[in-house]
Amino acid sequence: MSFRKRLLAGLALTLGLGSLAVSAAQAQDAPSLKGKRIGITVAGTEHYWDLKAYQGQIDEVKRLGGIPIALDAGRNDSRQIAQIQTLIAQKPDAIVEQLGSAPVLQPWLKKIRAAGIPLFTVDTISPYSINDTTSDNYSIGEKLALQLASDIKGRGNILVFNGFYSVPVCAIRYDELKLVLRAFPDIHIIQPELRDVIPNTVQNAYSQVTDMLQKYPNKGDIAAIWSAWDVPQVGATQAVLAAHRTEVRTYGVDGSPDVVKMVADPASPASAVAAQQPYLIGKTAIDTVARYLAGDHDLPPYTFLPAILVNKQNAADAAKALGQS
Amino acid sequence: MSSNVLADQAPAFTERSVDLEDRDIRRARRQSQVIRLGSIAALIAVFAYFSAVAPGFANLGNIANVIEQSAVLALLAFGMSIVVLGGGGDVIRGGIDLSLGANLGLCVAVFAVASNAGFSDWLAVAITFGTGAAVGLLNAIAVVGLGVLPLLATLAVMNICAGAELVLTQNTVISTNSPLLGSIVGLSWLGLSVTDWVLVAATVVLIVLVQGTRWGLRLQAVGGQRQAARAAGLRVQAYLAGTYVAAGLLAALAAILQAARLSGSSPGSGDILLSVVLTSLMSTVFSRRLLPTIGGTLLSVLFIGSLINGFQLLNVSSYWVNGVQGVLILFVVAVRSLSTRRGGA
Repeated sequence: MSFRKRLLAGLALTLGLGSLAVSAAQAQDAPSLKGKRIGITVAGTEHYWDLKAYQGQIDEVKRLGGIPIALDAGRNDSRQIAQIQTLIAQKPDAIVEQLGSAPVLQPWLKKIRAAGIPLFTVDTISPYSINDTTSDNYSIGEKLALQLASDIKGRGNILVFNGFYSVPVCAIRYDELKLVLRAFPDIHIIQPELRDVIPNTVQNAYSQVTDMLQKYPNKGDIAAIWSAWDVPQVGATQAVLAAHRTEVRTYGVDGSPDVVKMVADPASPASAVAAQQPYLIGKTAIDTVARYLAGDHDLPPYTFLPAILVNKQNAADAAKALGQS
Repeated sequence: MSSNVLADQAPAFTERSVDLEDRDIRRARRQSQVIRLGSIAALIAVFAYFSAVAPGFANLGNIANVIEQSAVLALLAFGMSIVVLGGGGDVIRGGIDLSLGANLGLCVAVFAVASNAGFSDWLAVAITFGTGAAVGLLNAIAVVGLGVLPLLATLAVMNICAGAELVLTQNTVISTNSPLLGSIVGLSWLGLSVTDWVLVAATVVLIVLVQGTRWGLRLQAVGGQRQAARAAGLRVQAYLAGTYVAAGLLAALAAILQAARLSGSSPGSGDILLSVVLTSLMSTVFSRRLLPTIGGTLLSVLFIGSLINGFQLLNVSSYWVNGVQGVLILFVVAVRSLSTRRGGA
């Protein structure tokens, strides 16, 4: 299939809101976790996605009668490693690890398995994980890129935030962008790429984009701004508005409620955001753990949860489907 | 009034003042002893509580974990304590090195980049120590040479380090692997890892250096009574400069342990300053003269490490640790300012 055809197909699929309601995970209830201790270690929770996925896990462990040992590393790799180290000594029945930097975490995830503790992950690709619950980031990255290419009519310069290529899901989305752009030779990524940061993501993205808008002062110099998640998109959108350059469109991933609202606003330059279902992702990860601990060891390496591309046309309906309004 | 009368009264006056001074000193001594013994009792109580209640707290493996998790913080806090010891305990005008955390971050990045550039482990280690010492020297030039307040000078250097780290890493993870890092993570002896042993060795060396050698005693004189030290012919400036360079070298040592733990450099790994300040401040309550000591610093670091560890073992939310750290800072600062106020009155 040519990329032009995929573009059309992708846009047609975009509105598959109905798919959100049905998910294999919800269809049958998970076995009990009574008396089981489940370690949950997350890189941080300051972002909407992180927090919802974390809460989804904790709530589901409690709902199934288990005891969550929930650890938030506050975006500090050393702290997360210390927490994992202590967690291994606590010998829980299973450990779920969510997000973080893959190269930093891998040796410690290996130690979890070496200690004989079943390891599951949320959004972290690892050879040591029995099952990774995540959105289909290949499709997310492709749909978002196709929407961008379509909106700017296949030509123009774009700014790209690529600060977290070490986080596997961000790498997939970025790689998909590059793949789609191969079919659009008139779309150019402005070099050097921008680096999004944590913390102060919004303020930092705002000032970086403000600088770039000054460096490229004419209408049409910059067609769009892409980021692998939606917090830089917030800063970028605000900077575009403040500079009265609303012809510059912004794109991101995750679908935090404030960003979905921005996309719904016809006057906002926020053009699209790929919205995930983080709470359901967290809940599903725990259901998978429960099935494994109940004896089902025939699990696939990935459990994908559907995401939807929220754009100007479907934003109002999407917010409802995502349970945000 | 004749000079005779004065001469008659003088001895009595002197005796009375000596008497008063003695009483003041004795009271201050008693006070600091109460603080010291109280702090040690609190420490033992916390350890005893966790041992009794938190499952697995007193296991040798868990204790080794706590030491390993505390090593980076401890080395930085040692650096801070040495700087405070030499510069004096006044938080505003005394010795302080706010660049320690950022120096750690920079040194980790330097090691990772040097390692990936194909330098041998030992060359990478040398470059890292060179970086740490250079940052210390920069602090020393600003504080001793230019006479900038340490608080402001090291704040500026902190920003320089943070900027340099960003330039080197582009704010991304730089993963690296080398035989040295592999053995730091992999090897162990008597149940303790290489990191544990580095901390033990550093502690012993520094205790001897600071509390047992001429350099250490003179350093304490420089920090306690700078005028007197100068009058006694000590090269006060050199001692002060030395403390910042020593702190820089300790940051470099910590950086190599950190690089092993994180398999390279990761943004935000220098985000540790508050804990460094806290543990160095806390160390004063374990000393007779309310001064930071190496042993006291180690106790404080292990205390904080055990709190975090114990809370996790008890499944108490880690969010509480921040609150507890805040309360501890308030407690220590209050004790210090109360004792200084009484001492000054």
